[in-house]
Amino acid sequence: MDITVVHHPFGVAEVGVAGRLNMVTAARLREVIQGAVDEHHPNVAVDLSRVVFLDSSGLGALIASLKAVRQSGGELKLVKPAEQAQLVLELTNMSTVLAAFDSVEDAFPHD
Amino acid sequence: MTEVIARSLRLSSPPDTVDTVQDLLATIWAQTPGLDDADRMAAELAIVELTANVIEHANEGGDITLTLSVVVYDERIEATVTDSGTVDRVPLSDGSMPESLAERGRGLPLMKLVSDSVEHHRVDGTNHWTVVRARRTASARTRRAMPSISIAGVIDEMARQRALDDMGILDTPPEERFDRVTRLAVQLFGVESAAITMIDHDREWSKSLAGLGSEEVPRTESMCAETVKGDVALVVPDLLLDERFAEKAQPDLFRFYAGFPLYAPGGERIGAFCVFDSQPRHFTVRETEMLRDLAAWVQQELTVSQELSRASEVQQGLLPQKLLSMPGWQIAGVCIPARAVGGDFYDWYPVGEGAAFTLADTMGKGIAASIIAATVRAVLRSAARFADVVGAIDAASASLSIDLDNAGVFVTAFHSRLDMDSGTMTYVDAGHGLSIVVRPDGSSQRLTSSSPPLGVDPETEWTQQTVDLNPGDTLIVVSDGVLDLYDGTLGALDNLAALALLAQDPWEIIAAIRARARGVTADDVTVLIVRRDDAV
Repeated sequence: MDITVVHHPFGVAEVGVAGRLNMVTAARLREVIQGAVDEHHPNVAVDLSRVVFLDSSGLGALIASLKAVRQSGGELKLVKPAEQAQLVLELTNMSTVLAAFDSVEDAFPHD
Repeated sequence: MTEVIARSLRLSSPPDTVDTVQDLLATIWAQTPGLDDADRMAAELAIVELTANVIEHANEGGDITLTLSVVVYDERIEATVTDSGTVDRVPLSDGSMPESLAERGRGLPLMKLVSDSVEHHRVDGTNHWTVVRARRTASARTRRAMPSISIAGVIDEMARQRALDDMGILDTPPEERFDRVTRLAVQLFGVESAAITMIDHDREWSKSLAGLGSEEVPRTESMCAETVKGDVALVVPDLLLDERFAEKAQPDLFRFYAGFPLYAPGGERIGAFCVFDSQPRHFTVRETEMLRDLAAWVQQELTVSQELSRASEVQQGLLPQKLLSMPGWQIAGVCIPARAVGGDFYDWYPVGEGAAFTLADTMGKGIAASIIAATVRAVLRSAARFADVVGAIDAASASLSIDLDNAGVFVTAFHSRLDMDSGTMTYVDAGHGLSIVVRPDGSSQRLTSSSPPLGVDPETEWTQQTVDLNPGDTLIVVSDGVLDLYDGTLGALDNLAALALLAQDPWEIIAAIRARARGVTADDVTVLIVRRDDAV
């Protein structure tokens, strides 16, 4: 799994995940998002468009990160989940809690 | 064309992870033509959730080894995971998702959601998981063409076979207590035949059969093999008219069948109690109930068998296990009870510069005789402190007389001590008289008895006798069950003498007697052999 972080000037950390988000990689995603929160980015957009596989462990990391972001007064949103990730979100009824958008700008409008 | 792709992988965690599993899956998917995306995603998700769950929980977080097998059929994808984890209880039934912000607890519900069947079995301390995903692309035609062999079924069958083997009932001789029930069933229902069957590997074997039919039938032709698939009575008024079983029907021989499953102590279905007939017939609800009652009776007798087989193990454990260290001598013995347990025993143990040898035969057979035999053995062993065989047998006789009198039985015994340097054997023969010494020149000497059996007369004056065992000599002591293997008379001792001359060593003699005893032991068969090596 590859994780990239882009700090947008409008207070959003864009976290891009590529590869498998499973039991092996879940902890790393949490650390990266926690790091972004610690660097005073209230909002986090997680780009799941290049995630080839998401399982319950990966989902658990997203939920834990969502809670951490909210505690700092921000919000965590998803960007373009790939087909399999979208399936898992729907099966677990998490697509309402972890809302998905087409782009970072759609997720966090900054006008 | 049906192509099956199967891959298996053994993982140790750490260092292996679900990534190892997903790398394997990637190669499998690449080799599966026409695999639907939805099926691939679902199967991968289910398999990853399953292995992740096993890695994380099966050994309570400790290191774990597991084997994953994935088979892709035309119409389904099947995965099994076998692990030796300590956790044997799995909350599989509750498939609901946890509350929305919970970080854990979605794995197993998710696995259930994306698969068509999930099963967990624990057999012999090992967890077996099976996950099946039916492929959406499978046509109705290929679905029908596929044999419905599920891996879970294979595991069930393993447990079933093991339970049956543990019963120790297979290939045992007929027993009246079972035959009674099948005979009664024939009369009660007015059918031609009744049987108590066991489903063993690829055959059906009958413990009891009243009427027509064969003791052994290929499993594929067995109706009882169908009965053991369920927990209820299987009643087929006319096999020919039932498309499920029409192939098993034999016109004018096998048309009607009714059976009820029989169980091992652990609940595994091992066989059936059944009635059958060459003519179709109606079987009423009342008759089905009666069949169930008779099956319950058979079930009870099976439980007794199980206890007997445990008793048998205990009794075999009382036979001398260790070889005596006697340079220049070869010692061997065997005891084959007619039933699970018997009244015969042989024994040997070191005494002074040699050893004591005993063979005894309790009047009667079965459990009662075996209890007496165990007592006689213990008493004779504790009498080893006496200087000679007369002292030992005297002490044993005194302490046994009340017990034997109360039980109304007597015991014939050959009790001896051998000085291994000189070859002199002193013995007391208490009414036994079935001992011979075979010399290398072909002559043989019967050691006759001059004393009554133990338990006849407490005032007996025991007489000690002596025989010299020279190089090449063989002493054979047997119980009267051995005579029945030949002509039932003392002439059988000549057969044994001839056998001893031909045999290279005592074990060859025992093997020959054992072979003769196979299946025809009406009485307990016991043999004790002491042979002195040829002079160098």
